[in-house]
Amino acid sequence: MDNVIEIRGVSKEFKEFSFDSIDLQIKQGYTTGLIGANGSGKTSLIKLIMNLLQPDKGEISVFGLDYATHEKVIKDRIGFVYDSNIFYESLNLKDISKIIAPSYKHWDSMQFKAYVDQFELPLKKPIKKLSKGMQMKASIALALSHHAELIIMDEPTAGLDPTFRRELLDIFQEVMVNENRSILFSTHTTSDLERLADYIVLIDQGEILFHQRMDELQEKYSIAKGNSDLLDRDTEAHFINIERSQDVFQALTINAAQVQKVFGDYIVMEKASLDDIMFHMKAAHRRNIHK
Amino acid sequence: MFNLIRKDLVIQKSQILLFIPFIMFFAIFGDHMSPFFIFLITSLYIPLNGYIYDEQVESNILLNSLPYRRKEIVAAKYIGSVVYMFLSIVIASIILYLFNFDFTLQDIAIATGLFFLFTAIAFPFFYILKPGYVGVAALIGMVVFAVVLPPALRFLAEHLTAITEFITSLSTATLYLSGAVISISLFLISWLVSQTIYQRKVL
Repeated sequence: MDNVIEIRGVSKEFKEFSFDSIDLQIKQGYTTGLIGANGSGKTSLIKLIMNLLQPDKGEISVFGLDYATHEKVIKDRIGFVYDSNIFYESLNLKDISKIIAPSYKHWDSMQFKAYVDQFELPLKKPIKKLSKGMQMKASIALALSHHAELIIMDEPTAGLDPTFRRELLDIFQEVMVNENRSILFSTHTTSDLERLADYIVLIDQGEILFHQRMDELQEKYSIAKGNSDLLDRDTEAHFINIERSQDVFQALTINAAQVQKVFGDYIVMEKASLDDIMFHMKAAHRRNIHK
Repeated sequence: MFNLIRKDLVIQKSQILLFIPFIMFFAIFGDHMSPFFIFLITSLYIPLNGYIYDEQVESNILLNSLPYRRKEIVAAKYIGSVVYMFLSIVIASIILYLFNFDFTLQDIAIATGLFFLFTAIAFPFFYILKPGYVGVAALIGMVVFAVVLPPALRFLAEHLTAITEFITSLSTATLYLSGAVISISLFLISWLVSQTIYQRKVL
């Protein structure tokens, strides 16, 4: 089987936005980064995939199975990490693992102990007394100790300081290399993904703007920088979105060669970072909505 | 399922330590109280605490992300509450007996009936209420239950003589049997109601 998650024609209404018949396939054995601004629908999409929310219309299958008949089998094979603490705060990690462990068929207490040692997690301290970073590590240790085939993480790096963030990213990388796991990972900090993700999904206001391989993305998109005088109605047409500040502009294009030909040496071309792509795609999307 | 029932004990570990002193307190200072009321309060202790702990954090997200169906999560609460009620009554009986506190099987029967009645009414509300209100609601519910029930029964006894005459005309066995059938039926209906509510709940 090729896709670990398949979303087909899913619609769901929310207060701020809605999913309108979206389709998305997440590849098995790869790391997919789900990016978008705060409130773009990332968490809601993850909740739909975890069956915490049910779609109004459409189908979601995980491991090729549907939730209506295989809910337990599916969740037995998923490891989850959420951005806020969902564990009983007054309990310590040891008690929490006592609750979680028997829920899974393949809980591996040796593995769990190894992570606890590696992350230097205190077993006897109540969860609420741990720092945000330690809580996140505890949550990751719990998610990775039952040989899950799919790891779903919602903003695992949110609210962490840079050193901690980096440490976490190293851990993720290790996890990915060691086993043939599929990982779906949402974040609004795109730099997290540049070294980790194989595929990127960009979402804005419940709409999937693209789903592409990371390397293709970096080849496809370029940033052009130059003097605003160069822009007129004809030349602007080469760009997806243009950001102007004072007399200079910065614009995203998928036609680097064409742009270079038109503008010659008057502009500077650069590779677009994920941040650039996210920023310009979102701006273009919002502009199209309001047209 | 067993794991979900056991979970309610694990999460209130520190409260469980207070459980036995809690009953002993009644055994020593509760001599003006009806024994059935002591049994009722002790039997509700663990199930109610379980709900209160569960809603302090987003345990709904946790439990539903683990391999459980929503039906099982509700079933564990209902079955678990009966299990814990039974165990609590056994423990309370032993303690009261040790403290020479007089009680009869009748007290236990009445407490069990009222337990089913109280949980049948209260549990569905716990699935409707917003997090943070379960503790308050349970407390208010208990007080209302304790305050309203005796005068209500007295009112019935005084003013609806037809009913009381009918009830007194029944044999004790029929009376207890019908009481049991009614309270357990209400409990089972409540279970179905909670299950329906929880299945539609937005997490």
